[in-house]
Amino acid sequence: MIDNFALGLTHGLMLLAAWRLLARADLEDDDAPATPRRGWFAAGDAQGDA
Amino acid sequence: MRDLAFIGFIAALLALGLKRPFLFVLLYLYIDTVSPQRLSYYLINSIPISLIVAVLAMGSWLLIERKDGFAFSARQGLILALLAYAGVTTLNADFPVDAMEKWDWAWKALVFAVFLPFTLRTRLRIEAVLLFLTLSAAAIIIVGGIKTMLAGGGYGVLNLMVDNNSGLYESSTISTVAIGLIPLIVWLARFGTVFPPDWRVKTFAAGLIFACLLIPIGTEARTGLVCIAVLGLLTLRDMKRRILYLGAAAMLALAAIPFLPASFTARMDTIQNVQGDQSAGTRLAVWAWTWDYAQRHPFGGGFGAYRSNHIQVQIVSAQSSGEVQTVTAQTEADEARAYHSSYFEMLGEQGFPGLALFLLINGIALARLEIVRRRYRRLAGDEAWIAPLATALQHFHLIYMVGSLFVGIAYQPFIWLVVGTEIGFDHWLKRKERKARGAERSFVPAPA
Repeated sequence: MIDNFALGLTHGLMLLAAWRLLARADLEDDDAPATPRRGWFAAGDAQGDA
Repeated sequence: MRDLAFIGFIAALLALGLKRPFLFVLLYLYIDTVSPQRLSYYLINSIPISLIVAVLAMGSWLLIERKDGFAFSARQGLILALLAYAGVTTLNADFPVDAMEKWDWAWKALVFAVFLPFTLRTRLRIEAVLLFLTLSAAAIIIVGGIKTMLAGGGYGVLNLMVDNNSGLYESSTISTVAIGLIPLIVWLARFGTVFPPDWRVKTFAAGLIFACLLIPIGTEARTGLVCIAVLGLLTLRDMKRRILYLGAAAMLALAAIPFLPASFTARMDTIQNVQGDQSAGTRLAVWAWTWDYAQRHPFGGGFGAYRSNHIQVQIVSAQSSGEVQTVTAQTEADEARAYHSSYFEMLGEQGFPGLALFLLINGIALARLEIVRRRYRRLAGDEAWIAPLATALQHFHLIYMVGSLFVGIAYQPFIWLVVGTEIGFDHWLKRKERKARGAERSFVPAPA
């Protein structure tokens, strides 16, 4: 029960972090603007790899 | 069921990695830290998942990623030298089979520490690596924290999800890492951009820090208590109201004592009484043995060389009833005791050359972070995060080095991942400084 709670919480956060990173152009280039957050998942519109 | 969840998680990250190959690096950090193959029953056990992800991470960097600003630092060279030297000692080890077993995971830790800086091209990547390292360790720390809160704990008793006592799941190791992570958690909660600071992030960070502090209590690892004291002292360095902080910390510590499990306070009391404590006595005896061994084998005995030790420990205990005090001295024999210290681990296994390399790598890391800390101290705005990150990494590193006095974690992969991140951070700053200098030069008006 405790194990599953801790695993679920941390893995959920890592998944959310990875999802948010997808939309960030500054992952590849410091000069690219950090995409503004939109809604809960912050994916924004298709950013492409630029 | 849990197997399926792990597979789903790994598959999702692999799929996202197809779009952003850097996610393979993050997935590797996760697998290296949490070892999901040890938490599952059979499914992922049967696939060499760590190897597959390492190949994906390195392969995609080699083939796809941009390599502008590529740098190779002295520290990476020293890590490679340590790797090569450890390889030689493994071939000539006192206990070849045992040495091979440790070499099997130790070389990967060093290789990834050399590779990781190459991938840290942007600020966001540095943050993402720290976030994944923190959340991965948090999976173990939160379990330990909640169990300690509900049921107390005990040395070697706290159930951290796996039975075998290795990797980050070992009591003293997780205690050291959990306390060292606190400054990094604070940094992520202040300057994070993946999860920008808001009430949710702050609540999570506060809860996680509390769980980190509970780990040494739950595992009853005395090393953890020493690490908390070091963290307390280090925090003083950047504190504006030091007296107020000291007062608050003392009050908090006093207030916490009644809530600590009796077995914890009893065990911590043994820190003062080294003579009557077998664990401490054994440690001192092993260190003395290792020093002696290093005189005879200055180039090290290879991994697991401690297996040849035979030590004798004298335990003195005094009991008083009324006015009569009975002192009993007992001699206990022991053999093949582990080093219980990273420095003696290096000295025994890789000899003086290994210890020198180890100290040099860690010394350069601390010095470089100190330079960055001072150089960027007054910057604000977009660069306000730099000096606090150098401070947080340096504090992690110092806590690790103090914890290392009592735990043999010289090759602990998690630590080497942080070392790799520190090197990457350093490279990033040098690139930035070079770029700024270049821009300045281009603005100089040409002579008429």
